[in-house]
Amino acid sequence: MGIAVYSTPLTKRQQQEYLRLLDSCDLRDEGDADIIALATDDDGSLVGCGALAGNTVKQLAVSQDAEGQGIMASILSSLISEAYAMGRHRLFLCTKPDNSRMFSSMGFYPVIETGDALLMENRRDGFESFIDSIPRYTGVCGAVVCNCDPFTLGHRHLIRYAASRCDNLYVFAVSERGSMFEPAVRLEMIRRGTADIPFCHVFESDLYLVSRATFPAYFIRDEERADLVRSDLDIELFAKRIAPALNITIRFAGEEPFSAVTRAYNERMKELLPSYGITFEEIPRLQGISAGKVRDLIAEGEIGKIREMVPESTYEIIQRQPGSGPACP
Amino acid sequence: MEIIKTAVAGTLESSDCMVTIEPAQRGLEIDLDSAVIRQYGKRIMEVASETLDRLGVQNARVTIVDKGALDCTIKARVECAAMRAVEHDGRVNWGGVIR
Repeated sequence: MGIAVYSTPLTKRQQQEYLRLLDSCDLRDEGDADIIALATDDDGSLVGCGALAGNTVKQLAVSQDAEGQGIMASILSSLISEAYAMGRHRLFLCTKPDNSRMFSSMGFYPVIETGDALLMENRRDGFESFIDSIPRYTGVCGAVVCNCDPFTLGHRHLIRYAASRCDNLYVFAVSERGSMFEPAVRLEMIRRGTADIPFCHVFESDLYLVSRATFPAYFIRDEERADLVRSDLDIELFAKRIAPALNITIRFAGEEPFSAVTRAYNERMKELLPSYGITFEEIPRLQGISAGKVRDLIAEGEIGKIREMVPESTYEIIQRQPGSGPACP
Repeated sequence: MEIIKTAVAGTLESSDCMVTIEPAQRGLEIDLDSAVIRQYGKRIMEVASETLDRLGVQNARVTIVDKGALDCTIKARVECAAMRAVEHDGRVNWGGVIR
C-alpha cells in the first residue's frame, strides 16, 4: 500500500476511481480540495482517499474490502503533515457520525454533529476557548453573522435595525479568508461603521460560523448547484452551542436577491432555528446597495462611485488599501 | 531551545505517535491522547518531559496523539518535532542533547 499526495488535478482515471470510491461511501466531492491524498494497493487500484480544503480534512474514505489495515490512519497522517507544511495548524475534520470513535482516537474532538455529518477539530478546547473569549450580555440578545466584503450602508442598515430589536446584538464578522478584503480589514470596517450604534458588539467568528469548515458551499460559490447546498453543520453549531452559551434568541439576516447559495442558507435557517427556540428574522435590504456591486466598481477602478453605497469609514479604509486607487494611465 | 513555530512529527499509524509542538509563553503544557493512557500515560509523559528537558525546551504547548508507541519512538518523534519547531539547520549534535 502506498500513499501519494496531489496538489495538481488528478488524471482522468484517478479522478474516476476517486469519485467512485467516494460514491461507494455515500460521500460527494465538494470540488474545493487544495490537496488530495490517494492510497493505492500493490496492484495500483485505489483503496482510500482524503482531501484537505482550507483548514478542513474531508472526503475521507477507505474501500470496504481494505478496511482494518490502518489505511485511514496513513491517509490522515499524510494530510496533517501536508497541512502543517502549508502553515495550517488548526484543523477541522468532516466525516460521517459513525466514524466518531475512529477519529477521536486520532486526535480530533467533536464540534457538532448533524444527522449525516460530524465536524471535529484538532484542539481539545478549540470551541470552548472561542466561546469563552466572548463576553456575555444581558436581556434579549440577537446575532448577525456577516462577511461584509466590504461593509456597506446596507450592512449598517441591517445591523442598526437588528440592534433596535434587542437589548444587545452580537455581530460576528466572518474570519475565513477568500474574500476581496482580508478578515482584519473587514473587521475594522464593521467595528468603525457600527461604532455609534448602541449595544452592538462586534466579534470575529473565528472558524465556527460561516467558515470553510462549517459551510463550505458559501466559499465555493457554485450558484448552479445551490440546491445541493448543505449548511446544517453551520446552523446547528450556532443553534446548539453558540446561541445557548450567549443567550441569543434571535438571528437576523438580510434578504438575499442575488446569491442562490446565501438564499438557500437563509431558507434553511428559517426551517431549523425555530425548533431550537431561536427566532429567525429576514430583513428587506436597502434598494440599490450591494457589496457585490461595490466590489465590481472597485475592480473597475471606479472607486469614486462607491461613495454613496458605503459609510465614510469604509471608504477611508478602502482608499488606504494597496492597489485600490484608480488604475495608473 | 526556543520554539518559534508550530511543527509536527510522526504519524497516526499503529505503534507510532504524532507529536505537535507549538510556541507558548509560560512553561510546558503536554496534552496526551492515548488508547493506553491508563497503562502507560504516566510513562509517556515522563519520556516526553525528559526529552524536552534535555533539549532545553522550556516554553511550549505539546500535543501527543499516541497509537501505542514505544519509548524510543516517542523520544524520536518529540526530538524531531522540536527540531522542526526551531527551524534547525539539520546539523544534529548526536551524542549531545540527542542521544
